[in-house]
Amino acid sequence: MTTTLAGGRAARRQTMRRIRPRRSPAVPLLLAVGAGAVAVLWLWWTNTPSIADTTGKIVAAGRITGLLAGYLMALVVLQMARVPALERRVGSDRVARWHAMSGRYTVSLVIAHVFLIMWGYARQAGKSLGDIVQQTITSINTLPDMGKAAIGTGLLFVIAFLSIGPVRRRLPYDGWYHVHLLTYAAVFLTFWHQITTGNEFAVEPTAKTFWYGLYGVVTALVLWYRIITPVRLNMRHRMRVEAVVEETPGIVSVLIGGRRLHRMGAEAGQFFRWRFKAPGMRFSSHPYSLSAAPRPDMLRITVKAIGDHTSRLRELEPGTKVWAEGPYGALTAQRRSRGKVLLVAGGVGITPMRALFETLPGASGDITLLYRANSTQDLALWGELAKIADERGARLMYAVNSPDGERPDISAESLRRKIPDVDRHDVFMCGPPGFAQSVYEALRGAGVPARRIHHESFEM
Amino acid sequence: MRKSHPVRRAVLATAATVSGIVLLLSLKPASDPGSAAAAGGAAPPAAARSPQGGAAQPIGNGTVTGDAARTQYGAVQVRLTVSGGKITKAEAVQAPAGGQSDQITSNAVPRLNQAAVAAQSAEIDAVSGATYTSSGYKKSLQSALDKARAAGSGQGAGDGAGSAQARTVTGDVAQTQYGPVQVRITVSGGKITKAEAVQTPEGGQSDQVNSNAVPKLNQAAVAAGDAGIDAVSGATYTSAGYKQSLQSALDKAGG
Repeated sequence: MTTTLAGGRAARRQTMRRIRPRRSPAVPLLLAVGAGAVAVLWLWWTNTPSIADTTGKIVAAGRITGLLAGYLMALVVLQMARVPALERRVGSDRVARWHAMSGRYTVSLVIAHVFLIMWGYARQAGKSLGDIVQQTITSINTLPDMGKAAIGTGLLFVIAFLSIGPVRRRLPYDGWYHVHLLTYAAVFLTFWHQITTGNEFAVEPTAKTFWYGLYGVVTALVLWYRIITPVRLNMRHRMRVEAVVEETPGIVSVLIGGRRLHRMGAEAGQFFRWRFKAPGMRFSSHPYSLSAAPRPDMLRITVKAIGDHTSRLRELEPGTKVWAEGPYGALTAQRRSRGKVLLVAGGVGITPMRALFETLPGASGDITLLYRANSTQDLALWGELAKIADERGARLMYAVNSPDGERPDISAESLRRKIPDVDRHDVFMCGPPGFAQSVYEALRGAGVPARRIHHESFEM
Repeated sequence: MRKSHPVRRAVLATAATVSGIVLLLSLKPASDPGSAAAAGGAAPPAAARSPQGGAAQPIGNGTVTGDAARTQYGAVQVRLTVSGGKITKAEAVQAPAGGQSDQITSNAVPRLNQAAVAAQSAEIDAVSGATYTSSGYKKSLQSALDKARAAGSGQGAGDGAGSAQARTVTGDVAQTQYGPVQVRITVSGGKITKAEAVQTPEGGQSDQVNSNAVPKLNQAAVAAGDAGIDAVSGATYTSAGYKQSLQSALDKAGG
């Protein structure tokens, strides 16, 4: 494409001009969350003139944990509201890990809150710790909105239990996901007792306004980005399956047509959550990366048949309606800070790397793709990768197992041998967790700083 | 992709949360809630302590009601039945209600009543878990004892209808949708010379409504001399509560 400039200094300058690394907003966001938590604690502090005795201390600890749980609950929901700043700037993978982490912490706070408050109330009624169950029943029956709160909390505990690693792995994804959506109901049910029985909110109109504001904003964001935005996107672009192509045994590409698809705002390296309106696939939505830069009339995803859903993709009829939500993901050209880029793909992780390989701006020799697969037959999309490499003057390398099944050597030494200036590259990486971990260590050993290794991992 | 350490993270998060909460709790003063409430501006009305705090003081017969003492959770007001210079019965005519308070009150108040009769003074121990209620109770109890002593050193007998001497009678609390209303009247020569509300609904719009309505109701009560007064427009609930409490005060004064 830029043959006249290829290789020259002018070309490098032109490339660098297009590289504007954008800082992830993670740190300011975390600071804001911390400031909110301090504000919530301040609310308790100003509303508690003094603590009289042990019972008072127990109830106060229950209030603090309850306030923090109520605050974090809103944020846990917010993290899954698909807000573009989180999905595209921080990265969907990182936000999902935050969600899981803060979700676990919030449920722990809820458990502490229920236990401490009920214990404290039992003591106030002149009873002991043994009467805590009786006390809970009494409180549910006598205090406003506590019935709702009890149902919501019960629901929350069920959801939390089903999300524990070993339990979750035994459940089908779709079933787990739809139960997990009940969190919205649980949050709604538990909200009201915070307002009506929460000491801080019952007496303090400003605090109540703040709380309504927090939950109101989160509700608005969820409605906007999880419902209205996808509806508008799909109304506008009306996507359908055009064709299904078998790339290599077990790896298929789905070509998706629609209207003005280049206006969806998708960048190479991003993904959509796809829902195909075919029997058995209607109710499950799955994230698949674009395996080519979006064209005005065509999007392409490439998927390895490993689960139920992916195997069914092969049987998709042309004309099947497609519902997509996105684009999401932060593994894009925005992360780049250097002129030289190394792309590392493991297996079907080639899909976002393939799109980046085609579109990352760069002069001849700036872009290198290292493709790891089990055998040369498993190198999906190899033909077009070779063509792109040829046209762009980019380097393309592969590493496969030897005929006797021995793994290829990807180490700090071998990387430095093949790419002598590897430590001056930005590295984009996509592949299975074990592979990604070992390549990461090799890269660090070869002198690539951690901030220049860009990786997306959906492992919790 | 630094290695994650889930167990280490969980231990750290737990330790940080627990120590943070313990720190917050220990930084809070463990002072007497009554004095804290006073510092906060919600001072109970005229709960002046008697300079001579002994229990052996001769006090009059009949019933005497202490001033209502406000606590963080609501008012506490104690009524004593005094006979032969001794407290024969103590009861709370008002105590915090609603929410968790119901449970606390139902546990604490009977104990406080017993303690008051046993101690014959306001020097009673607080009930654990009901610190605020206990503190308010003691205050109202002290005020009732002070009144009983005053009555004892004066006329001898407590309430007497149509007494020429001016005295004040406080009506029962009337609960309204927005909060309790309680009226105190000063009766002299069988006439109401002064009416005032010792308690009215508070907070939010109530403050405004009452600052308008209560003075009018007070005037109306003095003018009418009975509870047959008109409601103030825009303050229907407060007016109804006021009339109810006023009637109860009149009953007490007359009976």
